[in-house]
Amino acid sequence: MRHLGWRASRASLIPVARPVNARHNSAFAPSRFAELARRETSQRQIYQSRSTDPYVNLSIEHFLLQNAPAESSVLFLYVNRPCVVIGRNQNPWLETNLGRLYNDRIAMSNNAYNNTNNEPVLVRRRSGGGAVFHDEGNLNYSVISPRTSFTRNKHAEMVVRALHGVGATETRVNDRHDIVMDVIEDSPPPPPSSSSSSSSSSSRKISGSAFKLTRARALHHGTCLLDSPHIRDLGAFLRSPARPYIKAKGVESVRSPVANVSAAFLDAPGLFSMNGVVEGIIAQFAALYGVGNDAILRASRASHLEGHESELFAGRDWVVGTVGETQASEPEIQAGINELTSLEWKYTQTPQFTFSTFPTADDPRERSALPSYLPESTRVFLRLKHGAIIESEISLSADPAVASRQADAVHDALNGQSLHKLSSVTEWVHVLDRLALSPRQSGDLDDDLIRRLAGFLAEQFGCS
Amino acid sequence: MSTVARSVRPFASRVIAQKPLSTPSIARLSPTLRFPRGNTRSFSQSVFWQVKKYTESHEWIELAEDGKTAKIGITDYAAHSLGEVVFVELPEEGLEVNVGEPVGAVESVKSASDVLSPVSGTVIKGNAVLEDKAKFINESPEGEAWIAEIEVNDVAEFDALLDAEAYKQTLDLE
Repeated sequence: MRHLGWRASRASLIPVARPVNARHNSAFAPSRFAELARRETSQRQIYQSRSTDPYVNLSIEHFLLQNAPAESSVLFLYVNRPCVVIGRNQNPWLETNLGRLYNDRIAMSNNAYNNTNNEPVLVRRRSGGGAVFHDEGNLNYSVISPRTSFTRNKHAEMVVRALHGVGATETRVNDRHDIVMDVIEDSPPPPPSSSSSSSSSSSRKISGSAFKLTRARALHHGTCLLDSPHIRDLGAFLRSPARPYIKAKGVESVRSPVANVSAAFLDAPGLFSMNGVVEGIIAQFAALYGVGNDAILRASRASHLEGHESELFAGRDWVVGTVGETQASEPEIQAGINELTSLEWKYTQTPQFTFSTFPTADDPRERSALPSYLPESTRVFLRLKHGAIIESEISLSADPAVASRQADAVHDALNGQSLHKLSSVTEWVHVLDRLALSPRQSGDLDDDLIRRLAGFLAEQFGCS
Repeated sequence: MSTVARSVRPFASRVIAQKPLSTPSIARLSPTLRFPRGNTRSFSQSVFWQVKKYTESHEWIELAEDGKTAKIGITDYAAHSLGEVVFVELPEEGLEVNVGEPVGAVESVKSASDVLSPVSGTVIKGNAVLEDKAKFINESPEGEAWIAEIEVNDVAEFDALLDAEAYKQTLDLE
């Protein structure tokens, strides 16, 4: 981990060498995780993940939502490797820059985890809300509690108390249930920039929240940008080139300028660590839900264990410990991972949308001119439902009659096609070849033009 | 609470039973049951079949006049407590659901909540109005902003659900 280590500076403050005398608690094998999490008496549970796989972490979290006892309170902390996580009802072509992410549409046919360049992956979570970027400097907290006593600010306030405890006293919950931090602008602000002028104070988002409610339970999970190395360019992963052309139903993200909590400690970097925040959150969760000292000590200790994949401790009414890839073999968790990594969940769960290079009744926005390498007469319109094309009009000709025949020919190939399956320029060329009506029209349409239009669309939709 | 199961038995057996019905909602919906007169002419079929029930997870289900199909939605209380609804996931036609399985979902203020089917059945359609106007749920949750229409497998399943009074009591507990 980078400069401010996950397992770094605060270790000495915790009595790690406490003898284990197993009064009311003892160690359990990682394979007992599901059993302990479900146990009716496991009223307080605290876990940290050793995995940085977002699909694994979200699936362990979902397992806890579905299986922990109805009256229990659960804290789960995890850090994901770089990924863009969109809300349940969002559109990946609109909310992310798919071209900057790992192309799972091509790769899935070979190997889901064949991501050798470690490009950020696309994840669709089960909770609501907008798109966020995660990396190793972002701590995710998740609290699962009874729905009856749940409020949307309860756990964001809990995290703010933890942040105040480590010295980040300029943090607070705003009216969107996010945590913001007041920062002094003494340098050019990182994008996406606010409109404030230099050397003034402004609020920057450091944590975003999302929720999933079930019959009896409420899940609140949030990000917390502690020390992201991507803080200045993470917006680039969240900006789609197709934004001017797409009109989507569903949930749109609200853009906010962001900051790292570590920015508040520039003068005294030694005072801040991710570990300190982790311990603070555990302590505040313990205070909020009445977790006993045995459990707190075990949970805090877990954050300092090196190299242990999973270690569980349980007392009469609590379970704490570390989880990770080991738990991915649990059938219910594996099923969750399979769902989250599937292209159907990521892409076809998308609410209806249109893509149009010209103003329409639904989306009358003025469009800027298409790239000069395409003829002015170029028209592209797509309507999609469940990520599949149900209506299209793609043509190049300035002659309305020819354009109409082109559109019909292309629609024959596109109708019912899932957009994510058109994952490369080659596949677009294959479809658009039909623009060259058979028999070929005289002169004005060549292979090169088809390739240029294919390239333009491939870029809009983040194809390789 | 066996009022519904009773009400789907052949009419003659109900008249013979002549048990006084005390549930206020049923009494209101079908006065003829409360004061059986042994005369079917005065009985209004449409009033009789309008049975509306509730779940603890804040869904409602209302049986249509045909006695086979029902509309499902979320309650006034749920719509109010969820806040402004920004998106409704509607079920696909033909989806088969069991009791307690999702028959849709709503998103409001960053929260995704499943809408659970109170009974088992097969989805006839989702309410297309909500595709363009999710907020309609906040305006008319127990009226025109129903979420799914289903064909009910077994009307007797209504038996296990809460009537208006019992549902109201669960709210008072919260």
